[in-house]
Amino acid sequence: MNQTHDPAALSGLLAGLEAAINRALALAPAASRELGDLGNVVLAIECTAPEVTVFIRVAPQGTLQLMGYCEDKATTRVRGTLEDFIALAMSDDPAATLINSELEIVGNTAPLVAIQQIVTRMDVDWEAPLVEKLGDVAGHQLAEAMRATFAWGSNAVTSLRRQLSEYILEEGRLSPPKAELEHFFEQVQAVGHRVDRLQSRIERLKRRLDKAGV
Amino acid sequence: MTDQDKDTPTGDDTTDFGFSRVKRDQKVNMVRGVFDSVAARYDLMNDLMSAGIHRLWKRFTIELSAVRPGQVVVDIAGGTGDIAERFSRIVGPDGQVVLADINAAMLGVGRDRLIDRGALGNIDLVQCDAQALPFPDNSVDCITIAFGLRNVTDKDAALRSMERVLKPGGRLLVLEFSKPTNPLLEQAYDTYSFRILPFMGRVVANDADSYRYLAESIRKHPDQDTLLGMMEDAGFVDCQYHNMTGGIVAVHRGIKA
Repeated sequence: MNQTHDPAALSGLLAGLEAAINRALALAPAASRELGDLGNVVLAIECTAPEVTVFIRVAPQGTLQLMGYCEDKATTRVRGTLEDFIALAMSDDPAATLINSELEIVGNTAPLVAIQQIVTRMDVDWEAPLVEKLGDVAGHQLAEAMRATFAWGSNAVTSLRRQLSEYILEEGRLSPPKAELEHFFEQVQAVGHRVDRLQSRIERLKRRLDKAGV
Repeated sequence: MTDQDKDTPTGDDTTDFGFSRVKRDQKVNMVRGVFDSVAARYDLMNDLMSAGIHRLWKRFTIELSAVRPGQVVVDIAGGTGDIAERFSRIVGPDGQVVLADINAAMLGVGRDRLIDRGALGNIDLVQCDAQALPFPDNSVDCITIAFGLRNVTDKDAALRSMERVLKPGGRLLVLEFSKPTNPLLEQAYDTYSFRILPFMGRVVANDADSYRYLAESIRKHPDQDTLLGMMEDAGFVDCQYHNMTGGIVAVHRGIKA
């Protein structure tokens, strides 16, 4: 039998991911309820390079089941390369990336958009398991410390990105600003259209001259 | 006849028991002795021997079964009931799962585990021989046998019996140790099976002989293509297999025409 991957390895990856996602969903009851309301949805994520398909089934109880093999008809099938999926995952605007990327979508896109919105709005109560394990006071204090660390980390990343962008554009002058670049592309496009129109006009005149026998 | 066909009738009345030859009617009792011995620590040993990977092999097998709510599933040699428990949740209250095993000690462990985990209501336990399944013809949607077929005396008879009880379109899944596809992996696997496995059996279960038998019985089991042919001979169609963990384990699937 030709196999591109080991089903057990994929099963292990999916089992770990499924457990982590469902653990997070258990701490976000609103998101879990919204997922459960979607009904029996099966998403097929078909990666063409490397060749592997993962199925995500939304269970009525608001959990996700990740599978390497599923015979149910997929409600939505998304097909693309690993690079496309990584770009989608890293994107600030997934909806725009989905439309503009090479990803191919077959089937009903509504559940996909709904799931994406639920994940974006998902508010996980990370404090609950800490309080459960460490008690009210220690759990809350640890959660506060972790929140402060995450907030600092997030601010640091945002600040670093802004400063890096400023350096590339202003200090190093390594790249033109985005607006300038877009203006340049618009001008190139406008010149292209004008050349097309000129070419059509020349051909029309040529046909007229031929008809007149000049 | 190949080396791997020795479990099929050979004219004499002996069969394999690991690397030994024993009388065919004695093998059932000898296998029972092995599983009586390991039953209490079977799950622990499975986790230790496979580093927990047996759960992933079983997970993929359950995915391949494509079992739906309301269906009837028989898990033969189901032992400690881990697969039956998963099926019980999938088929739901309208379905039925039968946990079948020839060994009473294993069934006892399985029954306790299922009760402890609240898997009740749609599971029946049946002590039976895979070669003569006590179910009506065309009555079952799916049969699974995980790490059990190699212990059956007459595998062909067992496959025919499974084909008989399956409904047309029903599927059989055989999850079993098989032949590694990479020679280097095979060598490492041999060392592990014949040196480390009996040692672990002695330390954890205080029973090196039973685990030596398990290793030997794996080597005597038909390889992927031989088992595929046996399933086709038993009447299954669209037979295929998936190698897992480099072919150490393979899951075969066949459909009843």
